Amino acid sequence: MPVITIDGVKIEAQPGKTIIEACLENGITIPHFCWHPSLSVAGNCRMCLVNVGSQKKSPEGTLEVDGEGNPVIMWMPKLQIACATPISDGMFVSTKDDKTLTAQNSVMEFILINHPLDCPICDEAGQCKLQEYAYKFSKGESRFDDIKNHKDKRVAWGPQVMFDGERCISCSRCIRFATEIANQPVLSFVQRGDHVTIETFEGTQFDSPYSMNVIDICPVGALTSIDFRFKARVWDMSFNDSVCPGCSRGCNIKVGVRDNEILRLEPRANPIVNKYWMCDAGRTTQYKWVNANRVSGSYIRSDKGLVLADADTAYTAIAKAIKQYKSDEVMIVVGGMLSNEDVYTVKKLASEVIHTNRLVVVERTDTGFADSFLRTADRNANSHGIASLGITSIKPNEIADYISKNHIKALLVLGDEIIRGDEAILSAVKSLSFFALATFNECQSTEIANVIIGSATYAESEGTYTNITDRVQHFTPAIVTKENMRIMGMKMSRLDKFGAQNDRWTQGDKRDCKQHWRIAQGIAEALGTNFGYKNSESVFDDIVKHVTGYNHMSYDALDSHLGLTLNHAQHPESLGVIYESHTLKPN
Amino acid sequence: MNVTTNTAAQRLTFWEKLYLPEIVKGLVSTLKTMAKPSMTRRYPEERWEPLGSYRGRPVLVQEESGERCVACGLCSRVCPALAIEVRAAETMERDKERYPDLFEINMLRCIYCGFCEEVCPEEAIVMSKDYDIVFHSQEAAIFGKDQLLTPVARLQERLEFLRQYK
Amino acid sequence: MDSIAQTIDAVLYWLAQPNILNILVLSVAKGGLVLNIILVIAAFLVWLERKVSAWMQYRDGPNRVGPFGLLQPLADVLKLYTKEDISPKNADKFFHRLAPVISIAIAISILCVVIPATYIYVGPEKLKFYFSVAPNVNVGMLVILALTSIGVFGVTLAGWSSNNKYSLMGGLRSSAQMISYELSMGLALIGVLMIAGSLDMNNIITSQANGKWNIFFQPLGFIIFLVASFAETNRAPFDLPEAEPELVGGYHTEYSGMKFGLFYLAEYANMATSSAVLTTLFLGGYDAPFAKELLGLQDGTLLMVLVQFGTFFAKVFALLFFFIWVRWTLPRFRYDQLMNLGWKVMLPLSLANILVTGGVMLLLKQFGIL
Repeated sequence: MPVITIDGVKIEAQPGKTIIEACLENGITIPHFCWHPSLSVAGNCRMCLVNVGSQKKSPEGTLEVDGEGNPVIMWMPKLQIACATPISDGMFVSTKDDKTLTAQNSVMEFILINHPLDCPICDEAGQCKLQEYAYKFSKGESRFDDIKNHKDKRVAWGPQVMFDGERCISCSRCIRFATEIANQPVLSFVQRGDHVTIETFEGTQFDSPYSMNVIDICPVGALTSIDFRFKARVWDMSFNDSVCPGCSRGCNIKVGVRDNEILRLEPRANPIVNKYWMCDAGRTTQYKWVNANRVSGSYIRSDKGLVLADADTAYTAIAKAIKQYKSDEVMIVVGGMLSNEDVYTVKKLASEVIHTNRLVVVERTDTGFADSFLRTADRNANSHGIASLGITSIKPNEIADYISKNHIKALLVLGDEIIRGDEAILSAVKSLSFFALATFNECQSTEIANVIIGSATYAESEGTYTNITDRVQHFTPAIVTKENMRIMGMKMSRLDKFGAQNDRWTQGDKRDCKQHWRIAQGIAEALGTNFGYKNSESVFDDIVKHVTGYNHMSYDALDSHLGLTLNHAQHPESLGVIYESHTLKPN
Repeated sequence: MNVTTNTAAQRLTFWEKLYLPEIVKGLVSTLKTMAKPSMTRRYPEERWEPLGSYRGRPVLVQEESGERCVACGLCSRVCPALAIEVRAAETMERDKERYPDLFEINMLRCIYCGFCEEVCPEEAIVMSKDYDIVFHSQEAAIFGKDQLLTPVARLQERLEFLRQYK
Repeated sequence: MDSIAQTIDAVLYWLAQPNILNILVLSVAKGGLVLNIILVIAAFLVWLERKVSAWMQYRDGPNRVGPFGLLQPLADVLKLYTKEDISPKNADKFFHRLAPVISIAIAISILCVVIPATYIYVGPEKLKFYFSVAPNVNVGMLVILALTSIGVFGVTLAGWSSNNKYSLMGGLRSSAQMISYELSMGLALIGVLMIAGSLDMNNIITSQANGKWNIFFQPLGFIIFLVASFAETNRAPFDLPEAEPELVGGYHTEYSGMKFGLFYLAEYANMATSSAVLTTLFLGGYDAPFAKELLGLQDGTLLMVLVQFGTFFAKVFALLFFFIWVRWTLPRFRYDQLMNLGWKVMLPLSLANILVTGGVMLLLKQFGIL
């Protein structure tokens, strides 16, 4: 393999790699704007210019060294762009010499000529590549004192993406993304020189299901999310690692929260699952139902209607009701969004405490949602995990039959809405003598259920999802509930962390909703069996011990390998280099 | 090693060591002060008008076309006491795209350091001359936009002071 | 006019009758009068303290309530009355309540043997109507010493019963300080008693008649007694029991409302009492040297009594002003300095004072001057 010397450090890389790739693999970052590991090389930002050379050869063919034994290097007359220069054995690269530094400063000065410098009102500020490089590689002086070019601002490229021509530095990342990844080549540079800007072709709009990824890869604030625009500054939000519950792909995400309200979801790089991308549907829909229309607290239906009760009373009510029926008259439905921990505990409740085998999950298939890239038809985020724990699935249209055929008297639904406007299911459920529900949102079921317990969504719980490729992935809570208040602590956003009683920003809703495994454990305890789980990790450790396929897993291992595949936990896949286009400054 | 020679007590003269003459000196001093005029300002009736350099309660500058603030949140970020909360919103009507939908300063937290004024890129938040700030509840101490917006004419002195020393 | 004077004369004559009922009524009436006077004086002192301290610091002091802020103490008392009366959860409730009462009671009861003026003749038999609550107590000085010793109980009890370490420390300091200084105080007195040859307050005053005040014969005794009085009343520079920087509020940390008010009142009442005793012992009491010679007033007449009252209160107020003046001039002593001063300086000095006084008196007797 070729060995190159960069700033005196010898590194080795596959032949055919470019300098920037070889450096990235060895932990050296060369400044760049337009290069992205998943996109083709454009080489138009000129930020990655480096000094490249080779060792001088004597006429006899030997490598020359100077008096002190250092190699004599023949530098190329002009700087080369590291993103498009393949490495060759014996190559010397310098990124710290005056020539390179001058080039970097000049490139920054050029780029900033027409950049409006409106950081205070720009959504990208705080995680902007240009901002970061302006500090690191620019002297901060401009010799340009004319009027800056004015271009179109606030141009909607599609339903999700807003373009600001003045901020654009013409790196073409978005054009290449649209062409290569989204397969919707509607973007193009128009005009020339400093008037260059990007437009969609006439009569088209950039409405690919993955269009919002250009917002993330844009190194500046030229592309902003119409959904998010101006909602919060990035440093005011907390970003906690999670997994998208939208479909069974399990795209790794970061959840942006301020004032205990999710404001946006953005992809977290995972080379094996979703690389750097996620779909627009996940971004725009999977936080809204967490923020609004939630069930908080436990309720018991009596003659006077729903009465607020504490959780223990609700557990006792459920236990009391269940005890009245034979064990095979009790049916339990788990939602497809429940974590492995939740499902495992519910299964334990069903098999060890209630002794019923009528434990099912309802399939949620939407072939229209699937595509060949990330989106899958199976909308149950944890369907493979639930199957791996030995739970049978039924189709939505079989529910009514299942209830009537098996003479079900009591139904316990955790984390799912089974009715969804279906008349047959509604009448079947109404025919039951007892219906208990643990759910996130107000829905048709909450109108008729006998006992309702508010439960925690993916954004409020800790757990694992097993995705469509059987990859077990760990997610952590992002917003604070009464249950997880103590563990959230420093994971909260800047203002929330230090809020006091008299601060209005802390007056946001801290919901009383519990993780499903805790609810299952509570019901089991009311029925006389104590599982003794303290936190999600203790449940997962129990899964690892008792369920084949999960062997050798732990939350720490899942975190360090960005997930592990069932049955292959001992041989984690190589992740390669995880590239972060731009990072948020620590706040 | 403790050096216990030539301490302050040992340097005293005989009369000073006797203590009584020094007490008398002190008594004479306080007695003399009694005869001197007082410096008390009768506050609610006699008010002190601060100079432009005075850092009173922070306010938002309001121009005829509306507030200057673009809700960039830098004041909120720099505030060491976390007194300021800003929420931006988008507007299509004016040439600047955003404005503060909510701008609250918790006057119980504010320490009048003036960092918000210093960091503001729009000269939109400045320290006024108000120094007598009272409220009857903790809720009332959170000043919203209605209490913060102040016409630019009333802040001229401070704005000039800021430009002078920028 | 005459009829009113006659009525008063008749009433006083009736009161002066040496019957048990009359004496009882008279004592209660005088006691009530003294109580009111001392409360008014204490209130006035609070105002004076704040005014003087303000003037000494280029300030105005209270000036809002009433003319010159004179009604400020009234407002203060009103506030104290309306405040919530808290006693700590772990406090000894009974003693916690008792402590301020002891403090104020002792401070006031000392005044029963103080003589602000002599007597007037009333009625046809020229009965003597005395102005002190308990006239002619032949151990008057001992009563004062005994009562001041009890005064320490109030402070100590307050500190102990609050069940708070600051209060307890304050109480302990206070008792240690009071006991230490009582010694020098008592010994400084001996000089005066030797000159007067009696413990009776009347005799002490009459022995100083016509300007032969003890302050001139016993300057050292006076200074020692004065300093000890500061310590006894817990006033600056000896206000260690309530040293705010270290002990929060000292023994009254856990007191609020009118219970605190009583301690506050006791401090000023003690000041007034100390001043009255100092006046009696060293400044000739009610003695106005010019009254008999220059104005030609006779004992037992109303005018004479008025002059005596005036003289007495003028002296007392001069001393009270001095108390306040010192407080706003001198910083607080450190605890070890306080104890050093008490035991190593004042005690030997007061012993020396007795020796010198005795020696001089012997010498003078030898030469037949005395």
